[in-house]
This record gives sequence, C-alpha cells and structure tokens, in this order.
Amino acid sequence: MTAEILEILFIILTALIMAYLIRHFTFTLTVLNHAYKRKKIAPTKNTVFQPTISILIPARNEERVIGRILQRMTELTYPRNKMQVIVIDDGSTDSTGKITEEYAEAYTCIKVIHRKQWEGGQGKASALNTGMKLAKGEIIFCFDADYYPQRDIIERLAKEFADPKVGAVQGRVTVLNEPLNLVTRLVALERTGGYRVDQQARDRLGLVTQFGGTVGGLRRDLLESLGGWDESILAEDTDLTFRVYLAGYKIRYVNDAECYEEAVESWRDYWKQRHRWAEGHMKCAFKHSFKFLKSSSLGLKEKIDGLLLLNVYFMPILVLFSWIIGVPLFFLRSSQWFRILWASIPFSLYSFVGNFAPFFEVGIGTYLDGRNRAQWLIPLLIFTFLYNILICTKAFVDLLVSKITGKNNNHWERTVHSGNGNSYIWN
Amino acid sequence: MELALPENNVIKNWYLGAGIFAGTIITYTILSFSYISNESAIMLMIFNFLFISLVFPLRGKLVKKIMLLLLGNIIGFLWNNIFSLFAYTAVHYLGESFNIGYLILNPLLNLFWIVSFWSISLSFLANSRNRQGSVEN
Repeated sequence: MTAEILEILFIILTALIMAYLIRHFTFTLTVLNHAYKRKKIAPTKNTVFQPTISILIPARNEERVIGRILQRMTELTYPRNKMQVIVIDDGSTDSTGKITEEYAEAYTCIKVIHRKQWEGGQGKASALNTGMKLAKGEIIFCFDADYYPQRDIIERLAKEFADPKVGAVQGRVTVLNEPLNLVTRLVALERTGGYRVDQQARDRLGLVTQFGGTVGGLRRDLLESLGGWDESILAEDTDLTFRVYLAGYKIRYVNDAECYEEAVESWRDYWKQRHRWAEGHMKCAFKHSFKFLKSSSLGLKEKIDGLLLLNVYFMPILVLFSWIIGVPLFFLRSSQWFRILWASIPFSLYSFVGNFAPFFEVGIGTYLDGRNRAQWLIPLLIFTFLYNILICTKAFVDLLVSKITGKNNNHWERTVHSGNGNSYIWN
Repeated sequence: MELALPENNVIKNWYLGAGIFAGTIITYTILSFSYISNESAIMLMIFNFLFISLVFPLRGKLVKKIMLLLLGNIIGFLWNNIFSLFAYTAVHYLGESFNIGYLILNPLLNLFWIVSFWSISLSFLANSRNRQGSVEN
C-alpha cells in the first residue's frame, strides 16, 4: 500500500518535472527558429513614437555605483525634453545623497528625493512608490543603481508602447562583472538562458513575459490604477507582472534593449538575493495562482504558462522530494516504467532557479550570443542548482513559519554592490 | 550579438535528423537486449534526441555535426559499458545492494558526460563558425 502511494506521488512529481522540461525544450526550439528569421537589429534613429518618460532609480547606500548610472542617464539618446530622471535616495548613510545632488545641480532633468533614515530601507517597492509621486511621464521606467544601459535603450523599449494593449516592457539584463569569479560567470550563464532564450520565447509565443522590476517600463496610468508597487511583497516585480496580465494588458520583451548589471560576487550574496526572490515569488504564487486560473481576460496557454511561472520556485524542492521518495521505490517496486521516469529527473538538475532552464537552453543561449568560452562552464551549473535546492527549501520553510505564526517576515536583504564592474566599462 | 542562421536545407536537415533519430532508437533498442542496460539505452536516446533537434539546426557543416553525434554515441556507449563492468565487479564483492546504488545513480552519472559533451560540441561548432566567418570577412 505504501509503495503504491509512493509510486503515484512519484509519477505526479515526474509529470510536473517533465512538463517544465517540455516547456523549456519548446522555448529553445522557438528561439532557434526565430534566429533563422531574424537578420538584423532594428535601427532606432527614426523612431517616431516617443512618449514622455520618467526613470526611477532607487538607491540605498550605493555610493560605489550611483555615479556610473547617473552619468549614463546624461548620455542617453532619448530627447532630453521628454525625459525625467528621479533618484530615490532611500535613507542612505554614505555619500549616495551627495553624489546624486551633484548630478541634480548639473542636469535639470535629474531630480532627487531624499528619504529620511527612518523612512528608508523598507524595500524597493516602497522607494519606487515614493518616486512615482514625482513622476510626470506617460511611461515609468525603472533601473537599479548598479545598472548600466546602452545609450538608445529607452527608444528601443518605449516604441513597444505604441500598441495600446502593451502595459509594460522588459529589456535584457547582461552581467557587467562576469570575468570576476566563478559566481559571476555562473550568474551570467543563468542570465543568458533566462533572457536570451526564456523571455524571448515567451514573448514570441504570446505567453507570460515577466517584468523584471528593472530595465523595464510601465504605463503610468496603468500603474496608478493598480495602486503602484505592493510593498508587502519581496518580489514586487513578479507581483506586478501578474497584476498587469490580470488587468488585461500584455508585457513585451525586447532582446535588443540591453543593460549591464553588477552581479552578486559571492555565494553568500547569491544566497541572500535568491532567498529574497524565492520567498517573494512563492508569496506571489499563493496570491495570484487562483486568480490567474479564474481570469476571463487570459487564454488557456497564458494560464498554463503563468501557473508554471508562478510556481517555478517550488520546483527545486519538488525535485529533491522526488529523489527522496524515488530511492525507497527502487527497493519496494522497481518496475521498468519507474526506471524510465527516474532517468528523466536528472535532466532537471542541470537547471537553475527562477527560469528552471535546463542545460540545453543555456547552451543555445550562449551559442546565439557567440559566447563560446562560457559554454565550457555549463556543467558547473549543477552547483548552483544544488545550492538553489537549499535556498528554496529555506525560503519555503520561512514562508510557512511566517504564515503559521502570523508574523510578516518581510525583511529586505539588500544586495551590496562593490563597484567592481566599473573597471569593465570602456567609454 | 544576433546571428543569422542559414535558411537553406532546413527541411532536408529535418528529414535527415528524424531519420538518424529513428535509426538510433532502433539500434539502442536492439543493443539493450544484450549489450547495454535499458536505462543506458534510454539516456543515449535522450542524448540523440536533444543533439539532433537542437544542434543540427545550428550553423556549421552537417558532416561535422554527424561526426560529433557519432563521437557522442561512442563516448556514451563506452561510458555505460565501463560503469556496468565496474558495477558487476563491485556487486560480486560487495553484494546486490551495490547494484541498486548503481541503478539509482546511473542517470545522474550519464548526465555528466551528456552535459559536458554537449557544451564542448557547442563550443566546437561555434569556434569553427567564427573561423569561417573571419575568413569570409
């Protein structure tokens, strides 16, 4: 009897894992097929649709990187009279406020909001909501302080809003400090699979494209009607993604709009960042899964993909669980079918959290990017996956504890940016 | 960086790939009766499926891709046979429980060579494409 229950449970888990694998195989094939058709990057010089925009940059103790992005903001090719940059100094105790003030004095398009120390540190959503009050543009863009966009990124992103059905747009994130160490190199591989293949395929297939909370923009009227960013959720970007879709709008992904980020440089920082993502994402899954299924404005394929996306952070835990119940099944009931299913589980091991992209997806992403040497590191992604099993399990336990005890454990663990990425920028 | 891939011969390659994959299924099904375990046969079939469906459409000479596929199959076949021989020897000295341990770990061990070979093949194809590109330019 026990063996039968275990076997049924094992089959269900394997079916879920297989569903994700098939999904990502389809993504990879779609992007490959798309690469055949795509010959060149569209020029931005003659872009006609240029709405007024506000760029929000939340910053808390970012003195090592804030000057870099502000300098870049002054170099953007978007018409200056249609652009407003708002820096939210989120109660910084270092010289972030001073640096931003210097830029605000030199450039009229840059505005600074200084939040007091007791107001600051409540998370990115809180800082963005503060910045939104000052925003006047039709479209609100967000950039993190450690980011470094290409000069014409706004033109590339803003043109998507010519379609009234588009509520938000997302650009591509690539790693600036990739050569620094193994962690940054593996994060760069994750980003390649996640954006170059995963996001692009979802956009091409008309599925649920994710708004990443940075290197992206939203319609201001839509954002206001949604009540701004939800400050009670750590993954405010995922939350907003699903609220945009539930409101009947679409999100577009623009692969040509690239922006560099300074990736985490140590396993400790990796843990902090991913734990925050995992906990926030799981909370979103509880919040939106049912609403998404019931929504009348979404098609069946969007619903299926949205559910798979919402629950992706549970997958590393389920993979671990399937291994745990699979081993006793070898002793209790080792049928031929069971062995075939067993063989499929390791394929999900070479994947990373968030996108749950298998090794072939990352490989094709690096190939299409022409990053040949990076491909040699793909086998090492197993370490990030094993690490992510621990992270996601801890995040799930923390979430359960907070649900049971009723305490909102919503502490924002900020990622510390060293500014090491500055040495990779060539002007 | 966007790369333009050739549109020619896509359909021809598709039929060829489907043919090769059908061939590998038949071959490994026959081999699994006496030479390799069923699990190994399944892993090799998965490798062939992924390689044909995702590497064959990439830029590069078809001959190179077929040679890489052949090399991958030889490596996989040898890998599985070596591990099987090791497992048989270990079972003889350590008992039947080792065999179950081997069966549990077999798919994971297979994945090590599959992912490594996959990465090296992609890198090799990309490098040869770049060399070709630099000559063309």
